[in-house]
Amino acid sequence: MNTLLAVVIGVLTVYLAYTLYARRIDRRVIQSDPKRATPATLYMDGVDFMPTNRNILFGYHFKSIAAAGPIVGAIVAATLWGWLPAIIWLVLGVSFIGWASDYSGIVISVRNEGNSLSAIAHRLISPRSRTILFVFIFFYLLLVGGAFVGIMAGVLNSQPATLFGIIVLVVMGLLLGQMLYRWRRGLATSTVLTVGITLAAILGGHWAEGAFQAFNAALDRLTGGAPIVTYFDPTLAGFKGAEAHIMPSFLFWAVAICIFCYAGSVLPIWRMAQPVIYVGFWITALSMVLGLAGAALAPLVKPEVAHFQIPAFRGWNPAMGPSGIMPLWPMLFVTIACGAISGWHALFGAVGTARQIENEADMLPIGGGSMLAEFLLGLLALMAISVGAKGGPVAAFASGLGGFISVFGVPVSYAVSLAFAAFIVIVLVVTQLLFRVMRVTLSEWLGDVIPPVRNQHVASFVSVGLAILLVLTGTWIYLWQLFGGANQLMAALSLLLVTVWLASAKKNWLYAGLPAVFMYVTTVASILVIAYNLYFNVYQPNLAAGRVVAIIGSGFMVLVSLLLVGAALFIGLDGWRAFQRYRRRPAAAAGAAAARA
Amino acid sequence: MRKALVRGVTGPAFGARLAGLRQAVSRFVYGLTGYEFARHALEMRHELEAIFMVVTLGDLVGVPVLPPYYSLRLLPYVTPEIATWKRHLARRKEFWEKEEFDLHGV
Repeated sequence: MNTLLAVVIGVLTVYLAYTLYARRIDRRVIQSDPKRATPATLYMDGVDFMPTNRNILFGYHFKSIAAAGPIVGAIVAATLWGWLPAIIWLVLGVSFIGWASDYSGIVISVRNEGNSLSAIAHRLISPRSRTILFVFIFFYLLLVGGAFVGIMAGVLNSQPATLFGIIVLVVMGLLLGQMLYRWRRGLATSTVLTVGITLAAILGGHWAEGAFQAFNAALDRLTGGAPIVTYFDPTLAGFKGAEAHIMPSFLFWAVAICIFCYAGSVLPIWRMAQPVIYVGFWITALSMVLGLAGAALAPLVKPEVAHFQIPAFRGWNPAMGPSGIMPLWPMLFVTIACGAISGWHALFGAVGTARQIENEADMLPIGGGSMLAEFLLGLLALMAISVGAKGGPVAAFASGLGGFISVFGVPVSYAVSLAFAAFIVIVLVVTQLLFRVMRVTLSEWLGDVIPPVRNQHVASFVSVGLAILLVLTGTWIYLWQLFGGANQLMAALSLLLVTVWLASAKKNWLYAGLPAVFMYVTTVASILVIAYNLYFNVYQPNLAAGRVVAIIGSGFMVLVSLLLVGAALFIGLDGWRAFQRYRRRPAAAAGAAAARA
Repeated sequence: MRKALVRGVTGPAFGARLAGLRQAVSRFVYGLTGYEFARHALEMRHELEAIFMVVTLGDLVGVPVLPPYYSLRLLPYVTPEIATWKRHLARRKEFWEKEEFDLHGV
């Protein structure tokens, strides 16, 4: 297998899924009608509801959904099961489930006055489903926050060459916000200046490497080289499990990331979150475009970086730790989340994009098209990890992507630096935004019951504190999978909602119903497997050794897993009842129930 | 065949298609980059306008405000915004609470 073949498979998948399946559903089932008024045109207010050109909205929607998900998921899955199962799930998942979920999230909102999924679930399924959705959103943001802070602290601690570039990125983000909104400078000038300086700092990071190495060593000497926290990590020593140590330098970078995220959460969005994301977007876009083009050209120009090095298949149930299980079903399907299907996409599509759809004919190219484009991002990550079999998962990804970029003549060490920085930047910008959303969700969910959480500082502090607790337990792979399980469950619930809506409108519900059932069963099973692994593989070894922080963290994660399963069972039961109710109802009455079909 | 091919590549239809493609790509890039800033700038302007409307015409939503004389003098200038303003207020829990930009009422 080589990268050119993988790119061809990817492009063919996009073409076939879009033309043979997605268009047919759009035409025959949804019957999108360009003459029908959309919420954006009906309720235009110049802010939320605003008819927008399809090409602009495609770029906006793609940027909003494309983040670290497709990259981290592909890296972990290829490490655990090999590249073949990963590529098969990416292709089948996006072709039959992923695009349908994203597209349907937009469709259901457009046909229901631009309402959010939780508001539609409140009306079509049951009132409590809205609260359950909030519980879901908060906990899965917490899980991904914990996983991301852990990954980033590890990379920043072990790769001092990337640190200078990341610090400059944050400074340039702040400068960009000031230039655009306060000094009223043009976007093009501000972009060239801030992105140019950041790029130079990333590529020149090697010059500052020694200083940061000395800084980390000085931090570690504060405790005389003794670790702050020791825990049992089943993912170490080739997945046999070993003791892991959290050193002061790791904790310093984890806390630094959390302070950055705290600031991103409480400052006005234009001051920090938005401009940092924007500068980061250019760095990652540059790396990804060069990487994808390099992957396609590599077999012809530089064959040594084009051939897959890792095994195609590592086994159905690779061992992890003393008593862990990692069965391909259901775990692969939650490990690779966003590149194949993601609940967040449907959630965002329903409230962010649907209210700007100018014409119903735009729903498929924007919703389905963006998901298919994100699949290519997941495929690129899979190719990078498959060709770069050096070091741990993140290092292998960076060396693989760096190899692709080096096809264009960039020296390999600089290309790998850029790839490392791109990875950190993607994860960092997403993390600061998700703490912001977490803070808002927490105050929306519990604000009426516990008034102090309506305060943005209290809500941010609680969110960041819980994430730090998860980081101190280690085992970011379990955290990642638990996030994937929650995210995929959200996708299953959004598909369930679409199925109920289609049944209420007496339309053919199979294209959403079958994936909903598959994803629902798979994700509930996966969360139970993760709870089992966390209990027997992390909680018990740490309990036996009496490690308090790790016991609290892993015990908390087991509780979160069970909470997610309980919430899923409630909403699944309510959804099933609603589905049966609408199916039995005569067509005329059902037509009245569905706002607009 | 060759003439048709040459006409296809150099004719006005091809030029129009090329221009259309260029416009689509530039709009896509704008969607990826500047659109979010433009949207947020609109959001901020709208917040200021909403405060202005509450101060001048708050009595339309039950808030006692400036003497009606001044409201009447301002009315011609703000009439086009009244429907939008009322719709926005209707989506809020309280009229002074801003719907969070990044959650969009999830």
